[in-house]
Amino acid sequence: MADPACTVLPGMTLTLDLHSLRTPQRVLLRALRLGVAPGCVHTLMGPSGSGKSSLLAALCGTLPEGLQFDGLVHLNGQRIDTLPAHARRVGILFQDDLLFPHMTVGDNLLFAVPSGRAAQRQAQVRQALADVEMDAFANADPATLSGGQRARVALARALLAQPLALLLDEPFARLDMALRERMRALVFGLVRSRQIPALLVTHDLADIADPAHLTHLPPSP
Amino acid sequence: MPAPPFPLMLLTLAALPLGWSLLAAVQAGLDPTGWKALLNDPQTLLALAMSLWTGLLASTLSTAVAAWMLCRIFSPLPGAAVGTKLARGLAPLLALPHAALAIGLVALLAPSGWLLRLLSPWATGFSAPPPWATTQDPWGLGLVAVLVLKETPFLLWAALAQLQRPEVGLQLQQQLRLAQTLGYSVRSAWWRVAWPQLWPRLLGPLLAVLAYNLTVVDVALVIGPGAPPTLAVLAWQWLQDADPATNAQGAAGAWLLAGALALAAALAWGSTRSPLWRRRQTRGPDAMRAAAQHSPGTTKSITTITTITLRATTQHPLALLPGIYLAVGLALGLGSFTGSWLFPQLLPEVWSLAAWRSVLASSSTLWATTGLALASSLSALLWAVAWLELAPHSWHRRAQALLYLPLALPGVLWVLGLHQLALAWGLDGQASGLWLAHTLACLPYVLLALQGPYTGFDARLAQLAATLGRSRWAFLWQVKWPLLRAALAASLAVGFAVSVAQYLPTLYVGAGRFNTVSTEAVTLASGGQRSLTAAYAGLQWLLPVLMFALAAWLGRARRF
Repeated sequence: MADPACTVLPGMTLTLDLHSLRTPQRVLLRALRLGVAPGCVHTLMGPSGSGKSSLLAALCGTLPEGLQFDGLVHLNGQRIDTLPAHARRVGILFQDDLLFPHMTVGDNLLFAVPSGRAAQRQAQVRQALADVEMDAFANADPATLSGGQRARVALARALLAQPLALLLDEPFARLDMALRERMRALVFGLVRSRQIPALLVTHDLADIADPAHLTHLPPSP
Repeated sequence: MPAPPFPLMLLTLAALPLGWSLLAAVQAGLDPTGWKALLNDPQTLLALAMSLWTGLLASTLSTAVAAWMLCRIFSPLPGAAVGTKLARGLAPLLALPHAALAIGLVALLAPSGWLLRLLSPWATGFSAPPPWATTQDPWGLGLVAVLVLKETPFLLWAALAQLQRPEVGLQLQQQLRLAQTLGYSVRSAWWRVAWPQLWPRLLGPLLAVLAYNLTVVDVALVIGPGAPPTLAVLAWQWLQDADPATNAQGAAGAWLLAGALALAAALAWGSTRSPLWRRRQTRGPDAMRAAAQHSPGTTKSITTITTITLRATTQHPLALLPGIYLAVGLALGLGSFTGSWLFPQLLPEVWSLAAWRSVLASSSTLWATTGLALASSLSALLWAVAWLELAPHSWHRRAQALLYLPLALPGVLWVLGLHQLALAWGLDGQASGLWLAHTLACLPYVLLALQGPYTGFDARLAQLAATLGRSRWAFLWQVKWPLLRAALAASLAVGFAVSVAQYLPTLYVGAGRFNTVSTEAVTLASGGQRSLTAAYAGLQWLLPVLMFALAAWLGRARRF
């Protein structure tokens, strides 16, 4: 299902030009280039320990102390790897949903909406809940939700922050088979409708969004 | 599963004296004449107001300072390594008894203290100590300062213990990362995501801090206001009176304090439920997520001493605490060697060993302190290990309220019950009574220090040992306790420090017949023997620090 729209054009893309990503002990990744067009999901495959998650952390700016990223990241023509995480506008979905347990579902979403008029922000939250078919759950405690519901709320939250790119760190791994399929369709559909570039890391072949846009990471040395 | 009689016996061993003391305190508080005398006493209301003012202010400030420091420390994201290093650094601060800190602070801040000598006469123009009320100030600010300095490290320690648990620390770390990708700076993410989840886990320590600050006696005797004193001091004085009617008034005062404490705790809890906090959390990240706010060096550098110190303290907030403690330690250490020392001189004209000679001459004080602390902390540790090993989890959960109750009760109330117990059991004024009182005082702290590591011990190791055909004893002696020796040694040191710092029970249950470094230091603090006071206060610190050092050495990681 190679999508002809996914041709990388300069300007409206997420591009990575990595020289190296290293821990104090060893080099995790070296010489990796890729570009993701708006509305497309690029898949990175690799065995565990190959530095996939660290690469995503480097892209969104939350690289743990000790790891060193040497390279360039551009988003829509602007260099972002020198910016702090909160200024990059790169959203991320983890394997764990990481809903804040001290807030309701609605408050979790409201947390992500940029500040502004209260009524408007609430409307955005309602819309986001509807987008992921969770309309009735605004006042629910996250702890009472099922795994699939939590994953959908986490997706809605990531998108509410109006990211200009989305990173997906094995977000379907914790879901069972039936849910996984639905969640994939939902995520890929929302990425397409928002027209933002998305980068997915996984080791599950079934997750591959588009075989034409696939990079295999080498196993770590 | 062990047979139930052992846990039942253990529970009785601890619950009997605890419950007895509590009931005795209740009974003492039921005397209507005591209440009438309390309410008719013109000092009561003023003293209660003073207690509330100093206690609430100190609790609010220490919580706020601890939360702020945690935010600064973990701004680069909470790492386990930072936590471990910090927790180790906090131990010497925790080992310093409140009263010793108060005495040291008086030595620094008094009109004839180190600070004014440092500035006189060149900056202040004083050639004689000014008539200032810097230490027993009528507003209780000195008392508040000591309490904040002492409780902040305790809260930091309690918070670190939580943050070092993987399901808390790692989870928060990931949530903070995520909040950053949603457009929050680390700091604002900390206040909205991490702190609201962290503080409910600290309810116990926060309650203990509130209880301590509202009802402390020994610190208030050293540095607290005199007219009116705090209600705890007043109740303590009434309890010591020879007249039984005044004792009843003291008992009523202790209960009034307990009531005020319960009310304050309920109000504090209620205020955290306010929807205002919730709304603040979800106000949303700033729409303008420009990089401009990040670029360093935007502040105009006005390089005055104040801005440098301000910057140093905001960037290395934890340096502030050890700095003050170090100054206190120096004031006590140097202060114990001073002979004749005229005012504006920074250093004494004559150094003297007189104070230490006097300490050695009454070496029984030193031995009594050490022996009592060793006996009671060892007893408490034995009990805690037996309890955690043998008692079913459900028992432990249910018994916690009773076992930790001493931490949430006013010290004066507690000592009142203990005294009745000692009288009833014929232990009044006996070494055994003192041992019991100190053991009961150590117990909740030792249990608190031990229960995390002990219950967190990997249960699979026990199963593994059993499948290898080893008995439970062999497993405990050869696997579990050796692996937990750092935690066991640290808990023992905590108990030792608690015992050394005991003031009220030592005097009251011991009927004044036993002197420890704490009773000596607090009694001397109101007199004029500056160097002797410093020596005893220094010992109050030195003994627990030595014990903590010993514990660290015993618990050091083995290298093969």
